[in-house]
Amino acid sequence: MKITSQNIDKINIIPSSDQGVIVDFSSFDADDAIIFSRLLAQRLRDQGLKGMVDAIPGMNNLLICYDSIITSHETIAKEALSHANGLDASDQSASRLWRLPVCYGGEFGPDLEEVAQENSLSPEDVITRHTANELTVAIMGFLPGLAYMKGVDEGLYRPRRSSPRQHVPALSLGIAMDQTVIYPLASPGGWNLIGRVPFHPFDAHRADPVLFRAGDRVQFFAVDQAEYHEWQEGLVQGRINLTPENTPENTNGNSTGGAG
Amino acid sequence: MRQIKILTSGPHTSIQDFGRIGHQALGVPEGGALDKDSMRLANALVGNAPDQSVLEVCMGGLSFTVLDDCHIALTGTAKGQLTVQDETGINLDVPSYRSIAIKKGRSVRLGMLPDSNAAVIAISGGIDVPLLYGSMATSPNAMIGGLNGRLLQDGDGLALGHPPSTEDGEDRAEYQLSAVDDDTSSIRVVFGPQDSRFTDEAKSRLINDDYTLTPVLNRMGMRLDGPPLPHIDNADIPSDGIVKGSIQVPGNGIPIILLADHQTTGGYTKIATVISADLPKLARMRPGEVLKFEAVDVETAEKIARAREENLMRAIKSMMPAPPLVDTAALYRLGDTT
Repeated sequence: MKITSQNIDKINIIPSSDQGVIVDFSSFDADDAIIFSRLLAQRLRDQGLKGMVDAIPGMNNLLICYDSIITSHETIAKEALSHANGLDASDQSASRLWRLPVCYGGEFGPDLEEVAQENSLSPEDVITRHTANELTVAIMGFLPGLAYMKGVDEGLYRPRRSSPRQHVPALSLGIAMDQTVIYPLASPGGWNLIGRVPFHPFDAHRADPVLFRAGDRVQFFAVDQAEYHEWQEGLVQGRINLTPENTPENTNGNSTGGAG
Repeated sequence: MRQIKILTSGPHTSIQDFGRIGHQALGVPEGGALDKDSMRLANALVGNAPDQSVLEVCMGGLSFTVLDDCHIALTGTAKGQLTVQDETGINLDVPSYRSIAIKKGRSVRLGMLPDSNAAVIAISGGIDVPLLYGSMATSPNAMIGGLNGRLLQDGDGLALGHPPSTEDGEDRAEYQLSAVDDDTSSIRVVFGPQDSRFTDEAKSRLINDDYTLTPVLNRMGMRLDGPPLPHIDNADIPSDGIVKGSIQVPGNGIPIILLADHQTTGGYTKIATVISADLPKLARMRPGEVLKFEAVDVETAEKIARAREENLMRAIKSMMPAPPLVDTAALYRLGDTT
């Protein structure tokens, strides 16, 4: 799907007082809407739009934050629409692929059994299905470095927990609806916890503190407790570096490597 | 290294600046001072650049010792005042909106604030902690910025930056200026972005009824108490970005106004959004205070923002040397001896 002069009036412009202009793509196909909001954010950042202070892609819209002392709703809305023209949802060339370890079940995944039971599967089936699909980071949000990854196997569907946990340990991996998240920090949370990862999606001391970007693709693989600790140690000691495949600089498909 | 030592931190004191601007697409909250206008005024009084790091004191109860000569100033409160020791060890009460020169080794105290929930103390040179995404601001819920991502604690030592190299330097005069007055007591909002998801009754309640600020209040948001705001169908939306002052209404109909440390995205309907010019006033409000909302359109909100900015610039421009502080208690003692 492409935005042209034929369909551009399907975009709605909505204000968030004198602080934000929402470019709403909800009249488009849901998968395209996510991509449009991401691509428009990138275009506007590349342009360095005067008075724009942030651009936050959502599930079906882009929130452009602006300084109303420098610019206006009217100017931002006009610029946004002119840059939206020509956006192409099939333009995913720069998408990176991460292959990342998860230790499923046990104390790391207290909800694995329940997710299995509620879907008439064995815990092993849940792991097989969760590692089979390539997920896509739809948006980032909630906490620094938290990625909402869509594309979880339909057979694993669970709503969010009706009473959220007060304390979800950092690095827990949770699923709900068609999505997966990894909690970068300990926090309250309502997702169904099925495992834990040995790497940090957010690390304030890393040159680039946030690991994921919207649009990244992620495929998980299962590791046991011993391998989990090897990964953890290797990452801390710097023996293992997490690097994605298919980055614009690295199109040869080097894998993230193994532990030890 | 210039520094101060925190004696008592008070319940909710943090290091703030203008925040991490432009990284919300990574889930990094913008954060920063709840009342950026008061931060700019306080920095101006001590000769700092507008964006230098300050102490944000949400309830009061702060005391500290300065380990080097410096100037300090308190803003964001009309009735709060600093108590500082002068050279002879006598306590002086220093009103807000004026700076005072303090000698090395003296202590400064701010009692519980009677009229504000977001006062600012600027110290010449600014607070100096590591930068993350270009900012020192503390976001306690995201555990980033400030000192180890947390609120200040008793005993913390805080490094100060180099004192400002203004023309008057260390011998800088003490200055005073006027607070920027709010032109109305109401909190002005623009309806939306999801006002169409609410009943007409909900929209008229928000404007016509009283909403009281509850004690459920922190740098992320403030919960209100008042007539519930009913949705037409439900409270859920596909998650999207949020600005400060968004009035989010979950399924129970009870509004929450999101503040500087709000999460970058959320999945609840937002009935209206506070205009930028009224965010400082809102941040200073205390539990039990009644909010009166008033609806304006975007163009009006932008005009109000520009007028407020002009007032702020005017206040900074009209800053002038402050008269010496009079120690009234000492005068009485002097009277006794004659």
